[in-house]
Amino acid sequence: MLKLQDVFKTYEGKAEVTALSGINLTIGAGEMVAIMGPSGSGKSTLLNLMGGLDVPTSGQVMVGGKDLAKESEKGRSLFRRSKVSYIFQAYHLMPTLRVSQNVALPLHLAGVPAGEIAQKVARVLREVGLDGRTNHLPDELSGGERQRVAIARALVTDAPLLLADEPTGNLDTARGEEILSLLRSIHRERGTTIVMITHDHHAASACERLIRLRDGKVEDDGAVAGGGR
Amino acid sequence: MRFLLRTLSLSYVRRHLAKTTLTLLGVVVGVTTFSSIRSAQETLVKGIRSTVDRVAGKAHLQITMVGGVPEEMQEKVRSLSGVRATSPVIEQIVVTEKGELGSLMVIGIDLLGDREMREYGFEGEDADLDDPLLFLSQPDSAIFTRDFAARVGLKTGDTLSLRLPAGVKKVAARGLLTPKGFAEAFGGNLMVMDVYAAQDLFGRGRRFDRIDVRLEEGVSIGQGTATLQKALGPAYRVETPSRRGEQMERLVGNFISGFNISSGFALAIGTFLIFNAFNVAVNRRRRDIGTLRALGATPRQVRTLFLSEALIIGILGGAIGCLAGTAFSQGLLRMMGQTTETVYGISGSGVVTLPPGVALQSMLLGVLASLVGAWGPALVASRISPTEAFAKGVFQTRAPGHAAPRILAGLVLFGVSVLLALHPPFAGNVFILSVVITGAIGLVLLVTPLSRALLIMAVPLVSKAAPVAGRLSSDALLGNPRRSSGTIMAMALSLTFVLGLGGYMGSTKSTMVRWMDDVLTCDLFVRASANFTRPDFLFPGALREELLSVPGVKAVESYRGIRPIYRGQQILVGSIEMGGVLDRTKYEFLQGNEQAMRSGLTLEGKCAVSENFFGRFGLGVGQQVELDTPSGTVRFPIVAVIRDFSSDQGSVFIDRSTFLRLWHDDRVDVYDVSIKSGTDPGKVRDLIRRKLAGEFPALVSTRQEFKDEIGKAIDAFYALMRITVFLAVGVAFLGIVTSLLISVAERSREIGILKALGAVPQQIGLSIVGEALVLALVGLVIALPAGDLFASFMEGPVAKTFTGWGMPHQYPWDILGQLLVSLPVISALAAWVPARQGVRLKGTEAITYE
Repeated sequence: MLKLQDVFKTYEGKAEVTALSGINLTIGAGEMVAIMGPSGSGKSTLLNLMGGLDVPTSGQVMVGGKDLAKESEKGRSLFRRSKVSYIFQAYHLMPTLRVSQNVALPLHLAGVPAGEIAQKVARVLREVGLDGRTNHLPDELSGGERQRVAIARALVTDAPLLLADEPTGNLDTARGEEILSLLRSIHRERGTTIVMITHDHHAASACERLIRLRDGKVEDDGAVAGGGR
Repeated sequence: MRFLLRTLSLSYVRRHLAKTTLTLLGVVVGVTTFSSIRSAQETLVKGIRSTVDRVAGKAHLQITMVGGVPEEMQEKVRSLSGVRATSPVIEQIVVTEKGELGSLMVIGIDLLGDREMREYGFEGEDADLDDPLLFLSQPDSAIFTRDFAARVGLKTGDTLSLRLPAGVKKVAARGLLTPKGFAEAFGGNLMVMDVYAAQDLFGRGRRFDRIDVRLEEGVSIGQGTATLQKALGPAYRVETPSRRGEQMERLVGNFISGFNISSGFALAIGTFLIFNAFNVAVNRRRRDIGTLRALGATPRQVRTLFLSEALIIGILGGAIGCLAGTAFSQGLLRMMGQTTETVYGISGSGVVTLPPGVALQSMLLGVLASLVGAWGPALVASRISPTEAFAKGVFQTRAPGHAAPRILAGLVLFGVSVLLALHPPFAGNVFILSVVITGAIGLVLLVTPLSRALLIMAVPLVSKAAPVAGRLSSDALLGNPRRSSGTIMAMALSLTFVLGLGGYMGSTKSTMVRWMDDVLTCDLFVRASANFTRPDFLFPGALREELLSVPGVKAVESYRGIRPIYRGQQILVGSIEMGGVLDRTKYEFLQGNEQAMRSGLTLEGKCAVSENFFGRFGLGVGQQVELDTPSGTVRFPIVAVIRDFSSDQGSVFIDRSTFLRLWHDDRVDVYDVSIKSGTDPGKVRDLIRRKLAGEFPALVSTRQEFKDEIGKAIDAFYALMRITVFLAVGVAFLGIVTSLLISVAERSREIGILKALGAVPQQIGLSIVGEALVLALVGLVIALPAGDLFASFMEGPVAKTFTGWGMPHQYPWDILGQLLVSLPVISALAAWVPARQGVRLKGTEAITYE
């Protein structure tokens, strides 16, 4: 599913910052992987590269057999539209759009017919348990509900890869547990490959595999004991 | 895209209604100015043409001559073969005693013979007109259109007071015309009277303004023209009415096309307001853009979203602008009409309706201005990467593009603009537009790096002036180069216009005042008419002797100006007793000298020409001007080229003796009266007034009064340009307000932190005011040289294109002084609302802003 080979990422500025330094990784289809590491270890940069939001300074980022580093801006946008979906810690919902409109957004961008959009949106909202909240604005929802909207938006395109950047970071324990449980069921029932950044050991334990980063390098990569509960 | 527009864009509009209104205002201001100017221009031109056409009736040809057509020519024309009917006409624009009724066109015609030429639909119980002889026997008889009569509340038998050179005169309504055909001329503000009564009323002597000719059936216009021209000689013009209309259009064309500068500037203003507003929108919506991009929106989709918004704003603003333009255009038409009447003696009247062509042009320009303004920000939006959008503060602090290519392109374009101005490869409007556009784009490209450098230089000064608030202002300005340079750009361009146009107007006026001081040196001016170009009364030549006999009068010169068409332009041929004039005036000679002019004009029948005549026709000393006179075509050798501002079309001066000899017309426009030293001009003026009272209409002015009147005419000519200058200052004001509102919004978090750290409201407020002052100051510093160059361009090549005069360049110090006083006040005012917003921000809310 995902293969990163000798990936380097540096940011130029007054002082050059190396975010990733020679990453080599392979993630198979249907895996659920947690990435952990201290602040500045390169977790978010790695996730951005996997989703084609950014390109490496050098190296290969192969997703579904396609090297994202060689893709144009437009090519990467089209790739994101169909092959990958995101969940952010800060949700990144459009504050002025209603729940159903937020979920429908990627389908509108892809030019999906209106009738099909309505069906798909209704289905995923039911799946995440928000079918009674379709006309609410994000401000009218709790943090957990907002993250469910973000998950519904990620599911609606049926993308095989789901990237989650600290999905429980802004939530209390109970709401966090609900989200993790939802992600696990998505993984189990849809076979979606999930890569999740987290600071939380409990969240990481929901995954089957844990990759630890430090100073832009893979420090440790292995199965989570008792993971994937 | 429709979904995004309906949801994202619409919700942004709802949340930021004030900013959206401001954006819309940008298009509305531009389109309103453009459409009102274009509508007024078209109505004026159409009004002139339709008045000529309608008044002409069934006339195939019209015969005119400078100074008027002698009465006896009517018989001569009537006897020519191919001529079916002739009708003498006198045309005069007057105002009613109650000036608010507007101008009234008086047509003097021979009612007995005119029915072959024009159809009169009389209305009501017009018993007087059943017997035209009775009508003619009463010289105060007048016929009005039904519309005009209704507006004034006039019935048959009522009298109407007209303001005439001889004073207020009453005329009696003895008939009403149905407002169709002929009666629709001059927007229906028409009064018909007997041609011979009109001769007396308007001092035409035994002359008509023209003779209308209807040809026999089967005689072509070409044949008729040839027959008449052959019989009458070259001093007479034989033209079709439509050609005469075209001629008039050409005359006012230069004046009205000068308004295009204002209209172009207004559109540029609109574009900048849109640019600014979209910059704000992109800035505020960058997280939404980031989310869209993360969800798979392509750069093109993002760009299309913003451009679609611009398109909608353009269409909406264009429509509102068209409506507002129609409302303003009537006033503008009145202003243009008054000036063309004063300067060219040509009047057009009418009610402005928005012509479909102008509406379409305005809408298209509104859309274009909107798209051009939004293009840059839309491009920036499409390039925002999701990672950058989600990172706090990265977008704001990003410098706008690479400096080196921008500076290079700016320098090249600015250089091209200067080169074009110095060595014009083409002429006319294309030349002016190419210089202004390349110069403006060059300046826009250079403003960003320049403003950055200037801001860095200003930082220590501001910090020194107010250690805390100054530091905060400097940080805000340098921290967001994109926002600062956008505002400074609008500011610099506006102030460049202010300095350039203001400098040009100042230079023109001061040059003309200097010229008046040098040339208008006699003590009193005795005129029969207030209109300089189309006098409604002329004095007899013999009056000079009477004036000379007034106690205290030392010398009198008789000035007569006629305006013949020369190579398609209506030039001025001025005649006066040149010997006396040269004794008391100080002409500035561009070619030749006073001695050559004196002997050439007074002894040899030669001529002198004005600088703009020389510029327009390329004729100077050693060459000849060929003029058609009643004595035939005469070649006048040129002995001098002098600086003179009597006519913007060019002037030729001859001695009065030459004029009398060749034109056989001794009538006089103005008597220049010099008084004996030690005599009180006021007393002599009163004596002259007393002497002429009841005999002639006479306006007797002292030198200063006369100059003041000319000064007012110059001011009227530049009225719209002055409005443009105010508009430019308004734009600068709006630019600062927008920029500071963005600044406060963007710095909400920073302001919250500062408050948490103990900053007092006064420091926050002062820092925002300081930001405004620095923006204005940097804009002004950039505009100083640019405005000077623009003023030079206006005074030189532009003035020469429109008037043939080149004005000597002088730095607009007075405007600069006014700006130095007003800009800080304007900037502080512009900062008022944003500063209040900043001060009132709650610390806790502000900290969580992002």
